[in-house]
Amino acid sequence: MLPPASLQEEPPRAAVGELGRLAVELLRRGAAPRAYEAAARKLNIDIDTVQHGVEGLTYLLTESSKVMISETDFQDSIHVLGFSDELNKLLLQLYLDNRKEIRSVLGELAPKLPSYHNLEWRLDVQLASRSLRQQIKPAVTIKLHLNEKDDQTAHVLQTDPSTLLHLIQQLEQALGEMKTNHCRRIVRNMK
Amino acid sequence: MELSAYAQGGWRLLGDPRRFPRRAYCALLRAALRSLLLGHCREGLDDPDLKDIDPTVLKHCHAAAVMCILEAGKQKADISAISTCLEDCKLDKERIEQFCTEYQKNKDALEILLGSIGRSPLHITDVSWSLEYQIKNNQLHKTYQPSYLVTLNVEENSDSGSHPDVSFSCTMEQLQDLVGKLKDAAKSLERASQM
Repeated sequence: MLPPASLQEEPPRAAVGELGRLAVELLRRGAAPRAYEAAARKLNIDIDTVQHGVEGLTYLLTESSKVMISETDFQDSIHVLGFSDELNKLLLQLYLDNRKEIRSVLGELAPKLPSYHNLEWRLDVQLASRSLRQQIKPAVTIKLHLNEKDDQTAHVLQTDPSTLLHLIQQLEQALGEMKTNHCRRIVRNMK
Repeated sequence: MELSAYAQGGWRLLGDPRRFPRRAYCALLRAALRSLLLGHCREGLDDPDLKDIDPTVLKHCHAAAVMCILEAGKQKADISAISTCLEDCKLDKERIEQFCTEYQKNKDALEILLGSIGRSPLHITDVSWSLEYQIKNNQLHKTYQPSYLVTLNVEENSDSGSHPDVSFSCTMEQLQDLVGKLKDAAKSLERASQM
């Protein structure tokens, strides 16, 4: 992994701390020009340098987190910048402290299908209708809550008792698959 | 069990042996039942035993027979109720008995047909699932987690027309939650059926 060009000159220690904070905020909440201005004044550097520094750090953190680079490999990668040991340690710590959060943010960007949120159910017994009186027709009404592209949708569906048992059986089989030797072997070998 | 004046008129014609000889009467009953249960109207009325009947009368009597069958089915009428109703239309005992026999034979199918009419939420008929193991995507590498894709197959409703199947992805924990809730529903069903 190659560090970005904007980190070529060794920045002062205090600056890195401040820029690191701004970089993480950028990833969390997006750009904040006022914060850059404040940092530029505080550190006595011009705002363009602040911006480039933050962008460079953001790139460093994002790429490192994306591939889940090991400590050793991270240190090897930034070594090429020729910073002091103290600064390298600071950068490494910045990476390790924020890696989990950055990965979860990146995870949000993945292509997504509607996903399960919740299920509510209700038992109904139909007693009569316009076309047929004196019925006893049990049914299970289900409200399936899904997350679809930042929105929550709800689907109202119904099923009969025997289909319900069939659904349970099928889905239990699905859950059981992860415990089979085949799946276990693949999971082991992937890591 | 009550029939409209129009239906009663049709039944009086049906009860008249001069208008409807015995074979024609039986043929008409069969035609009426078939048109309800199978949806074929034309073929039933093309029966050779009915060819001598005036078409207007035939149409009236077919309608009357169908109305009586539907009313009996809707009310879940018993033999005595049906008999009383047809007696009021001046049908003789033999014809009433023939009707009741034919009706009894087809009663269950009729009940299913009538019970299926009406609105209800989309009905789940089946479920399909697939299990994936995610390795990486272009934003994140080494994701390493299992993921399920579940599709609830929904019965095609003639109203909506379109493909209403509901598909969604879920993690293993979410699927366990889903199955747990379905099992709660099934347990409640069992308890309710024992009451």
